[in-house]
Amino acid sequence: MVSILDVVERATTGKICSEKDFDLRIFTLKLKDVIRKYGVSYDPDIPVPSDPGLADSVFKAAFEFFCDVGAYCTDTQRIIMFDEGEVKERLRVAPSKVMLGEGVDRKALTSRKPEDPIPPWCFLGAAGVAVSSDDVFLKLVEGYGRIPYINSLTTPALTRVGGMRIRPGSPLEVLGSMRTVVLAREALRRAGRPGLPIMNSIATASTAVSLISALHPDFGLRKSDGVMIGAIAELKTNFDLLNRACVANTLGMVLGVDCGPLLGGYCGGAEGTAIVTAAYHIMTSLVYNALWYVMFPIHIKYSSSSSPELIWARSVSAQAISRNTHLPSLYISYTASGPCTDTCLYEIAAQISSVVASGASIEAAGIARGKYEDRMTPMEPKFAAEVAYATAGMRIRDVNDIVKKIIPKYIDKIPNPPIGLRFQECYDVDMIKPSSKYLEIYNMVKKEVEDLGIRFK
Amino acid sequence: MSEDIYVKLRDAVVSYDVDAVVKYSNEVIAKGLDPLEAIEKGLAVGARIVGDKFDKLEIYLAELIMAADAIKAGLDVLLPAIPKGETPRRGVVVIGTAQGDIHEIGKNIVAALLRAYGFDVYDLGVDVPPLRFIEKAEEVKADIIAISALMTSTIIGQRDVIEYLRALGKRDKYIVMVGGGPVTREWAEEIGADGWAETASEAVQVALTLKGRR
Repeated sequence: MVSILDVVERATTGKICSEKDFDLRIFTLKLKDVIRKYGVSYDPDIPVPSDPGLADSVFKAAFEFFCDVGAYCTDTQRIIMFDEGEVKERLRVAPSKVMLGEGVDRKALTSRKPEDPIPPWCFLGAAGVAVSSDDVFLKLVEGYGRIPYINSLTTPALTRVGGMRIRPGSPLEVLGSMRTVVLAREALRRAGRPGLPIMNSIATASTAVSLISALHPDFGLRKSDGVMIGAIAELKTNFDLLNRACVANTLGMVLGVDCGPLLGGYCGGAEGTAIVTAAYHIMTSLVYNALWYVMFPIHIKYSSSSSPELIWARSVSAQAISRNTHLPSLYISYTASGPCTDTCLYEIAAQISSVVASGASIEAAGIARGKYEDRMTPMEPKFAAEVAYATAGMRIRDVNDIVKKIIPKYIDKIPNPPIGLRFQECYDVDMIKPSSKYLEIYNMVKKEVEDLGIRFK
Repeated sequence: MSEDIYVKLRDAVVSYDVDAVVKYSNEVIAKGLDPLEAIEKGLAVGARIVGDKFDKLEIYLAELIMAADAIKAGLDVLLPAIPKGETPRRGVVVIGTAQGDIHEIGKNIVAALLRAYGFDVYDLGVDVPPLRFIEKAEEVKADIIAISALMTSTIIGQRDVIEYLRALGKRDKYIVMVGGGPVTREWAEEIGADGWAETASEAVQVALTLKGRR
């Protein structure tokens, strides 16, 4: 089996290649080849396809693509290659479930299958989006902890320590990362959910030194929390990310990854994005020894994932992985619109229902493109989880019919979306309760979505 | 006759064919045609077509970069043939991703589009310290410093460049543009940037406008 030492050895002895050649002559050309060879084709009339043959073709294309292309190390400018046997072995022995959390909140994150009635894992919170202060962080996380469906927390990111803006790799980031864990654990205690795992640890840490500093148990992070490593687009890694993987693997932590292939970038269109999203599961399983996989294929212009071609790419790649592997896979939904808008909730409904029916679990959610401080509330992940539970067990074909009716409700707003209101503007922050206006919007959208066929439990 | 070659140049750009662009550019020189006209009626028209196609996602990043490479190859042939003082370069840009940030794709798109629109672009890559932007801008006599950042923790690198420029007494010498996922108009105003854009094609328009004002 491939070890982290093997990966480092290949990163330092693999084939030398310029980054531009990797992008243009290897990645892009091979991707076009496999799209053609396996006949993968996007149909805008079917945003959530239910064709097992298409899903299997995407998986075969992703497998061949990764075996031929490998992963690129930007520090050594070398390609890390794996042979077909190693890839098959890894996919065979990789765990199908991981245990996370403590006490009553210790649960199994498992892989799912298309149309699976097993409820998806609900990884809820802010998806690492920035907040302006410790106070907003605490209140938001307490609110996330109160969501009944929550299985694990995705925290916001702090942007300031002692009034100073955090700089990457600086002492401020080290301190901010430690503080992120301390605040998150305290907020979960206040919510009465002290055992909930924090799985995006540590949102504030953009460098290995900050992540590793905040792993010290004195700050409250446990081995039963997840450790998440972000990948570099596309199919790239570097020593900083490998350093994090070395530490997490050696400590026996439950390592996960988040990967954001860009539709419109080197992936090309929907077909390439679906294949690369599936390939990221394979790549990160081998390169980092990842045990769970969060994907956020995203639009290069809109920085959101609710456009029809991305709904398709997410659904097809989720089916490709859930049909052909047993890897626990989750998808983040990025909305263009912000809190307290109906379009934000429609975007969530379309994205969540399509991936849950396709066999994935969820991380929710990146709101208002994850662009603005404090522009997220507990309402969006709560709604996402409700949709997720309602969709589990539904037929993909039925979900496709529903999603086709939801998309027109927001599609025109994606290029210039309403950014909505900040947490402080649409919530009673002390009580952590939504404003009457936001409740009205939520009830209205929920009723409409229910009328379309999503039966809330 | 000349129009035929310009159409061929345009089409070679649109089909990302570096060899054809170089061939037709050499033909322009060999036939004694006006290289400036060849740039304006051939390469620049092709650049606009490619830019529009990318904006509509009819083509993608790889094609955009290949078109930008083709345009650069054509300019390398045609520009030396233009009498001094008549060079049509739109301006010189030093671009990079802020210190601590290793995200490059957004920056690569802006760089490719700026090149396609005739800017001379020096790409410093990712994780660029503030002084490196300034040193390069001084070295190549840049008009614009463009700084990308994709993380909330790295946008501070954009402010650093502006503060270092101020501290060195060089702030007014350069147009400073900022962009990237978490970068908003409010942030650009707060740090005193001259320009901000949400998308790559908007960035080109902002660059053209700001350069035009100088």
